[in-house]
Amino acid sequence: MIADLQVTAVSHLLASHRPGAERLRVLSAAGQLGFGIVQASFALGIQRRPHFIGCDMGSIDPGPYYLGSGQMAAPQAMVRRDLELVLLAARQLNVPLIIGSAGTAGARPHLEATLDLLREIAIKHGLSFRVATVASDVPRHLLVSATQDGRLQALDHSGAALTLPVPDEAQLLSASHVVAQCGTDTFIGALKQMPDVLIAGRSCDTAIFAALPQMLGYDAGLALHMAKIIECTSLCCEPGGRDAILAELGPNDFILESMNPKAHATPSSVAAHALYEQADPWLAEEPEGTLDLHMARYVALDEHRTQVSGAQFFERPCPTLKVEGAAYEGARAVLLAGVADPTMISVMPRALDEVCERVRSLVPGTWTMVPHLYGQGAVRALPAHQKSQYEMGLVIEFLAPDASTAKTVAAVFKQNLLHFGFPGRLTTGGNLAFAFTPSEIDANDCYRFVLYHLLLGVQPEDVFRIDVQTWNFEEVMA
Amino acid sequence: MAALLHVKERSMRLAMTDLGLPITPLPITQLASVIRSKNAGPLCFTVDLFFRDAAAYQRAANSEALQRHSVAHCYGLLASQVRRFELPDIWAMKLSMPRSVCAGSPGDGDLYGAQQHAPLLSLMV
Repeated sequence: MIADLQVTAVSHLLASHRPGAERLRVLSAAGQLGFGIVQASFALGIQRRPHFIGCDMGSIDPGPYYLGSGQMAAPQAMVRRDLELVLLAARQLNVPLIIGSAGTAGARPHLEATLDLLREIAIKHGLSFRVATVASDVPRHLLVSATQDGRLQALDHSGAALTLPVPDEAQLLSASHVVAQCGTDTFIGALKQMPDVLIAGRSCDTAIFAALPQMLGYDAGLALHMAKIIECTSLCCEPGGRDAILAELGPNDFILESMNPKAHATPSSVAAHALYEQADPWLAEEPEGTLDLHMARYVALDEHRTQVSGAQFFERPCPTLKVEGAAYEGARAVLLAGVADPTMISVMPRALDEVCERVRSLVPGTWTMVPHLYGQGAVRALPAHQKSQYEMGLVIEFLAPDASTAKTVAAVFKQNLLHFGFPGRLTTGGNLAFAFTPSEIDANDCYRFVLYHLLLGVQPEDVFRIDVQTWNFEEVMA
Repeated sequence: MAALLHVKERSMRLAMTDLGLPITPLPITQLASVIRSKNAGPLCFTVDLFFRDAAAYQRAANSEALQRHSVAHCYGLLASQVRRFELPDIWAMKLSMPRSVCAGSPGDGDLYGAQQHAPLLSLMV
């Protein structure tokens, strides 16, 4: 039997829910879909019959490798498990499922891989539904013209951020993937296609949870503030965790309630969450404007729930987009070793320079050596008196145009450093301690961020591509 | 004797409370319940300090050690590169600063910026 796809989960919600008549129940199931949704708390959330389910699936935090390579950070088996959990629940309740930043970095390969898994699950269970997608890849010509007239700018002018130079045309064209974070308006555009499921490429975390409420007429400031908190699931609670969280949104406030009975949303734990991973605790920039939390108020309803109100949203006349791009740097091999000889530790910087020079004459090519001297300030700059004299952890990266060269350099470098001679050397058996062999390891490809900028003067609809498809797998089952 | 008095007077002036009473600096780890750092995007990291009570917050907010120029000194930065936010309602303070290397670029030693709070752990406030 072919499902009635005229009435979808989104169209049903838009037709049936009236703000003021009842609160909108929003279930945030995952802050990082693919790392294991906690089943017990998710099940409790489903029992509350949410009006829609949202999941965040990505972030820029895991670094440039994922955006550059098109790979997901989460293991595929766990992504499949989590997707199955949320898709089956959403279809059983016939409520919208909204997933943002598909596949970690939200570029085309991430979106495709997520859709492939979703399709596989739909076929397995014989499901029929309508899927809308948003592709967040930025056409390169838009970026090139933006650099020509200064519309690609630094994000932070406060001085409290490192300056990433605006890339030139050649760098823009050579980047592996460039995405922009789509905002609430783009999600609304996709939801107007009346899907059951929305899977978006790189997204603002807020858009996942703020778009449907805004379509229903809820206040943008409230919806965005709610979205900003619940996209991290129960991290805003005491103790914080990864359990699903339910927000009940009304016309003037929203109520937060973790689906883990032991994780309490208290006024201070929720207010403190506004600081998390934010340079500014009061202002959050969205493509469409600024969310201002100066007037936010947090009141305990009971020991488990907190009521939040007061956030304001100030729209900007022209939308701005945050763009992210990663470029291939080379293949990487790493050498791992320890050092316990105090004299060797003290001469290490010089030893690395001299060995580097020696290896250059042995292995030609454009390779680079990047040392991390643990115990000596590899994690942060250390004053001399805090550097370890008695043990050093050595991680040396070798970057080369291809993996074979990187591995060759690492092996040759290892042997030369092991037997490096220096005045006063007592340790003539070898300068390094290895925990295992091979101690030089192929460490995937290396990428770096070349874009983390603000793109001005473009219309979101020129960047983000919305598509919709209807899947009907019920017949496959029959 | 005159020199000693001068030193004593100066140290008291540096450690006056609002009430004009001298205070003895305490380790920040005795006053704070959370001292954490994290990236705020790949170009910036931010340190959140949550204090145990209003008095601990007030002491920290007034202390010389947590002024922008002092914090900048801990990280080898300029005062103008440190943003400081005070949140007395929740006894918290936020300090946002530039990363030394873009997150995940070759040479970065702390992808998430989660260990950059360390220089503040030994402060006396």
